[in-house]
Amino acid sequence: MNLGSSEKRAVKRYKNRKDLELKGGTKVIIQRVKLPRILRIWGRGKIIGIAVGIVVVIWLLAPIYIVGPGEVGVVRQFGREVRQTSPGLNYHIPWPIQRADVVNMAQIRRAEIGFRTVEVQGKQSAHERVLAEALMLTGDENIADIQVLVQYRVKDASQFLFKVREPEKALWSATEVALRGVIGKNTIDDAMTVGRPLVEADTLLFLQRLLDDYQTGLHVVELKLLVVDPPDAVKDAFHEVVRALEDKERLVREAEGYAADLVPKARGDAEKEIKAAEAYMKERGLRAEGDAAKFLEVLEEYLKAPVVTRERLYLETIERVLADVEKFIIDPQVSGGNLLQFLPLTGIEPKEEVKE
Amino acid sequence: MKTKVIAIIIGTVVVVIVALIVLNQTVFTVDVTKQAIITQFGEYIRTIDEPGLNFKIPFIQAVNFFEKRILVSDAPPAEYLTLDKKRLVIDSYTRWRIINPLQFYKTVRNELGALARLDGIVFSELRTELAAHTFKEIIGAQREPIMETVAQRSSVIVSEFGIELIDVRIRRADLPSEVQDSVYARMVAERDRIAKLYRAEGEEKARIIRAEADKEAVIILADAYKVSKTLRGEGDAAATEIYAKAFEKDPEFYSFLRSLEAYEKFLLKGTTLVLGSDSELFKYLEGPEAEEPDKPKE
Repeated sequence: MNLGSSEKRAVKRYKNRKDLELKGGTKVIIQRVKLPRILRIWGRGKIIGIAVGIVVVIWLLAPIYIVGPGEVGVVRQFGREVRQTSPGLNYHIPWPIQRADVVNMAQIRRAEIGFRTVEVQGKQSAHERVLAEALMLTGDENIADIQVLVQYRVKDASQFLFKVREPEKALWSATEVALRGVIGKNTIDDAMTVGRPLVEADTLLFLQRLLDDYQTGLHVVELKLLVVDPPDAVKDAFHEVVRALEDKERLVREAEGYAADLVPKARGDAEKEIKAAEAYMKERGLRAEGDAAKFLEVLEEYLKAPVVTRERLYLETIERVLADVEKFIIDPQVSGGNLLQFLPLTGIEPKEEVKE
Repeated sequence: MKTKVIAIIIGTVVVVIVALIVLNQTVFTVDVTKQAIITQFGEYIRTIDEPGLNFKIPFIQAVNFFEKRILVSDAPPAEYLTLDKKRLVIDSYTRWRIINPLQFYKTVRNELGALARLDGIVFSELRTELAAHTFKEIIGAQREPIMETVAQRSSVIVSEFGIELIDVRIRRADLPSEVQDSVYARMVAERDRIAKLYRAEGEEKARIIRAEADKEAVIILADAYKVSKTLRGEGDAAATEIYAKAFEKDPEFYSFLRSLEAYEKFLLKGTTLVLGSDSELFKYLEGPEAEEPDKPKE
């Protein structure tokens, strides 16, 4: 029932159209009238219709594209750039009228010169050297082994897409040009040590200049010299220099140690000597004063009774002295004044007194 | 009925295909990265260098597309001789673009043809220019000027191909691998020299420091000696003065006292003393009678 009524309605609609478009041409009328019938008669026709419909739907839906955060969509209409779209769901007129390319502007991309980061069995990435890239001549005709990491991003999407073929490959070659150009102006020692930041800065400037010349639309965020080494064949010799430098430092430190040990000790000795001299000076003075004072005291007493005192002093002293001394008392009349006949005197009994 | 329907379907398909072919032959898009020339039976009609939708007469006119982007020619590394007869392996690249598609089409036809010509020209210019510079110049400060000269000269030649040459760059300039070993040997020798120099410098500094320290120590001690002797001298002088002042009062008594003191000091226990019995000391040994002190005993 429902089918029947809907068919009637369809027929009515076609009839109305037929009336309206009679002047349009026979071909149109035939199609309009026959096509529903064909579809009705042959299921195969239906399938073709559905297929065409699906294709059309796909054709209409395909231009839906997503611009992610940090990305930019660039839409071309008949090959000419017409607009740039911002993040979100976007739509462009179907091919072949418009097409869109999405460029990630925020992503920091990496270029590695002199090495490659390779995945090793899905594990952590490994460093693989590329000697052909890494070995380069320095200004002083040495060869250096250099590895550089360049981080860059797209700063101009339309330049990036349309101005140069393979812009990222251009960056790789340009990095080599810039790096080798700058290293060629530096000595190996400079490049390895103090000149490193300067080499980085110069290379970055040079590289950016080349990238702008080539209209790559790329911006170098950072350029880092990861490794600046002598080649493997001469590494030992370079290490030897480092060791020599350490030796130099050591020799100097040792000498300084010697000086640090010697000079203070000398100062100490000097001070000791001076103190001793000062002490001696004082001692001499004081002793002299003491001796003088004693002498004057004794003299005063002596002057009161010179003969007796003199005799007393003499005898007291002699008594003290001779008490302990080993003595031989010889009568000159016996010996004839010649003492030699009594020699050797030692070995003779100590307390014996030779008397006449 | 059946045949009619089939005929209609086939007819439609044919019409659509024919229409598409005609459309394709008439309408074409020039992309922003491309440029094109239109020829009519091989005869040049016009150049399209702006992107957009374009039309031509179908079948009679043909369209040739050319790259509009900057292109690169990366020739394989080649060996060059420098002014100082050193050999260098140089890897260079050339950046260029097509600015006159007609000229380009006429002279080199396509990119492949262009690359062959371009590489040849740059190679010979590079050869000439490198032969006029020393190894050191090429590696170092003169690298950019050399490149600019090569680019300039080549660019004059390639302009007749409708090519604009943007630049020629030496990417790598290396020594041939046979020479590398001798460079390494030189580097080792150079490092050896530096190492020796460092050690000798260390020795030098160390010796200077030691000598300086020795000198300082000697001077310090000598200074101290000087001060010490002066002080001791002063002490002696002061003592002498004090003694003189006191002993002056009775030199004879001083002599007497000091002698006694001295006896006491040097006649220690264990000393052997031989005395004459006629000594003043023993004047009472013979008898108790008083004697004249200055009269010696008989």
